[in-house]
Amino acid sequence: MKKRILSLLLCTVMTATTILAGCGKETTSSSGSGDGNKDEFITVDVFDTLANYQGIQSGWFAKVVKDKFNMELNIIAPNVAGGGDTLFQTRSAAGNLGDLIISKTENGRFENMVKAGLLMDMTSLLKDKAVLTNYKEAIDLMNGDLETKGIFGIPGEISNQSPLVSSEGIEPLVSPYVRWDSYKAIGYPAMESLEDFIPVMKSMQENTPKSDSGKKTYAISLFKDWDDNMMVGTKNYASLYGYNEIGFVLVKADGSDSQDITSSDGYYVKALKFLFQANQAGVVDPESTTQNYDILSDKYRDGQILTSLWSFQGSSYYNTVEHKNMGKGFMPAYIKGSSPFSFGCYPNGNGKTIIAIGSQTKHPERIAEFIDWLYSPEGMEMAGQANGAAGIEGLTWEMKDGKAVFTDFGEKALPNNNVPVPKEWGGGSWKDGVCALNFKTLSIVDIDPRINEPYLTSMWSSELAKRTTPLDLDWQEKSGGAKTTIEFLENNHALSVAPGTSYLQPEEGSDITTLRGQCKAVIVDDSWKMIFAKDETEFNSILKHMQDTVKGLGYEQVLKVDMKNAKDLADSRIKAVEEYNNKSK
Amino acid sequence: MKKSVTTKASKTTLQSRRLFYCIVPFIILSFLFSYFPLHGWIYAFYDYKPPLKLSQCDFVGWKWFQTLFANKTQVAQIVQVMKNTLAMSFLGILTSVFPIGFALFLNEIKCKWFKNVVQTLTALPNFISWVLVYSVAFSLFTDGGMINSLLLHLGVITQPIKFLDSDAHIYSWMTFWNVWKGLGWGAILYLAAIAGIDSELYEAARVDGANRFRLMKEITLPSLMPTFFVLLMMSVANFLNNGMDQYYVFQNSFNKEHIQVLDLYVYNIGMTGSSLSLATAISMLKSIISLILLAIVNFVSKKTRGESII
Repeated sequence: MKKRILSLLLCTVMTATTILAGCGKETTSSSGSGDGNKDEFITVDVFDTLANYQGIQSGWFAKVVKDKFNMELNIIAPNVAGGGDTLFQTRSAAGNLGDLIISKTENGRFENMVKAGLLMDMTSLLKDKAVLTNYKEAIDLMNGDLETKGIFGIPGEISNQSPLVSSEGIEPLVSPYVRWDSYKAIGYPAMESLEDFIPVMKSMQENTPKSDSGKKTYAISLFKDWDDNMMVGTKNYASLYGYNEIGFVLVKADGSDSQDITSSDGYYVKALKFLFQANQAGVVDPESTTQNYDILSDKYRDGQILTSLWSFQGSSYYNTVEHKNMGKGFMPAYIKGSSPFSFGCYPNGNGKTIIAIGSQTKHPERIAEFIDWLYSPEGMEMAGQANGAAGIEGLTWEMKDGKAVFTDFGEKALPNNNVPVPKEWGGGSWKDGVCALNFKTLSIVDIDPRINEPYLTSMWSSELAKRTTPLDLDWQEKSGGAKTTIEFLENNHALSVAPGTSYLQPEEGSDITTLRGQCKAVIVDDSWKMIFAKDETEFNSILKHMQDTVKGLGYEQVLKVDMKNAKDLADSRIKAVEEYNNKSK
Repeated sequence: MKKSVTTKASKTTLQSRRLFYCIVPFIILSFLFSYFPLHGWIYAFYDYKPPLKLSQCDFVGWKWFQTLFANKTQVAQIVQVMKNTLAMSFLGILTSVFPIGFALFLNEIKCKWFKNVVQTLTALPNFISWVLVYSVAFSLFTDGGMINSLLLHLGVITQPIKFLDSDAHIYSWMTFWNVWKGLGWGAILYLAAIAGIDSELYEAARVDGANRFRLMKEITLPSLMPTFFVLLMMSVANFLNNGMDQYYVFQNSFNKEHIQVLDLYVYNIGMTGSSLSLATAISMLKSIISLILLAIVNFVSKKTRGESII
């Protein structure tokens, strides 16, 4: 009997402990010390919606952070954890996102985070800090509209350049990159319009029928993973003409035009038609419909795809030193009348992402110091390395005759290579040690006051001088001596820079969000079907199906919201340019 | 006399109390995991926007339920989704006889090691995740995949057949993958049931001159029926829950109209559209319909077979 009761008790206790174990509050090993004293080693939980790495920051950047602040960064990344917004929702329901927070802000998220008490007011923490004195205007603007007064977030990408200067350095958002060797072989045909691109692609495909590994080549290949409000692969062709999306609307970079994407004579449908015709001509990879980004990336590495609109896809994967020396690689061609879209600099910061301190942190002082450092030139060089900055002075770069140049190590390791780092600099591989925060504090094209050249190393004069491979030389010759894509487009007055503004898309009602979710599914699905339609009649009937279905769902209501946002965005762009001009007068 | 009755009574109360304590932990567990989460239904009546607390959000009443039927196109979408769900569940139930047949015939194989090898190999796919199944399907059936390359080289076709990105036969395809994945696993239960059949039955039938097929038909099959019906009833209760991972990995713009089952629909508009309240409303409706279906099946089973499961 006794035994039975005992086992029963044991059973109950075990169940209870299993259940209760999940409810316990996380106990933190370190406590106290709200002051800036750095005697105690701490682990900072970073909730980072931009990061693509989850876990403790390692390698050379971890060493820099440890030496300077005696702390380590534990990065919590929803992108890696998956499940969309779930991680954000569960953590915010618990009332503690993390010690340091890097988050998107649009659709009312910033206001709601403040309202829910997740962020700390940094006013007293930032007093006398350089970040506040240098970027007061941007910070005030970011926090000005909040119901609760205070400094709760600092915007990213703050710049001291004109909003009309491209913030992308050397490559714009999109450009018609072609396999230059193939384009050269067919005699650099001129393209008067986008339609002329199709026969060019066809002859490139005939000229280069096999990839490096002997697979069949295609001029265009698409993937579906990043489709959101519309099909990204289609929108990119509209971006060639200076348009970019806001909801279901395409807005021209200078704010002069806004188009409903479902309208039959808009650029989105035009781009669909272009891709449909391209598919009819046999230059679209039939696997586009089922492959994902990784499969497509491998195809680019193998040279199976002959054009690309994104520099980070075509040239990053295929333009290796070896290929370039063979004269092979992606270089931008020129389509007359096109004017690729590029994001301009943000004099008041890009408020779409912010950095903030969590309301529950025990070490606000030290985190504030860390943030301050991230906005300093040295912080930019190191943390910004993930986006193309130089890294550690003395290790990857040095000053030589008053000019910043790569060291031998930097030559091997930069921008992002798997090269072992010497022990005294933190060990590990360079690539694994790159700062995983993925947050741009200042504009990467701004001038680094320590070297008087942009932070972005590919814009350094010493780096541009290295563009001497057969591929580069041939392209430069055909492009009137321009060294970079942006320079080339600027020379042709064919770059649409969208002035960077502090405009943020306001919060939309949940019913609009729901409708949007339903409409975008229809738009994306029908877009794909249109491109792969059998003939013109089918193309038109799917187009009509798309227009009718979204209309039936209540598209008008969503479009009204988007049109208003588009107008506000356009206005803010005009205003941003005026403001900057007035200030610099 | 009276005293002895009371002691007896108190003894039984004590006994039953003890027995009751034995099941208390399980009652607590089922309450915690099955009933406690139901309080989350309250989100269906709010306009919930994380990170705000529920108290900071608006109460909207039945709004989300009405949204589902707000206009003709919405209703048409829901109807299509329900059609897909029911069709695929129905096909799933139709094909649930396959494991029985498989177990029946597998049981007749006398070569033991061969039987074991077949059983293991057919049960294995059950442990492969749908993501991996899709990558297998992708390398086999895509335009440049094995099947198409083979057919092209043999000259059977001139254009690659679009297996994955076409709307044709999508129900059959999905059922095919399901059967491939679940056949061996489903047969395990039946094999166990077969092992439990009294061997005297077979001996008696053999004496009466029954051949192997008669044995299968007259003894093995009827003995498997109770197991089959219990499984059938349980699968009917899950009629609307045909999972979403399979359809999620196989979905693309071309087949979405017919592949989108209820769970996937909830995911597509609720999670990716981040409208948690709407998703809760739909899943509430789903639970209620499942409950009704279960009650119906139970009723039918009681009437026709005299057995019920609840």
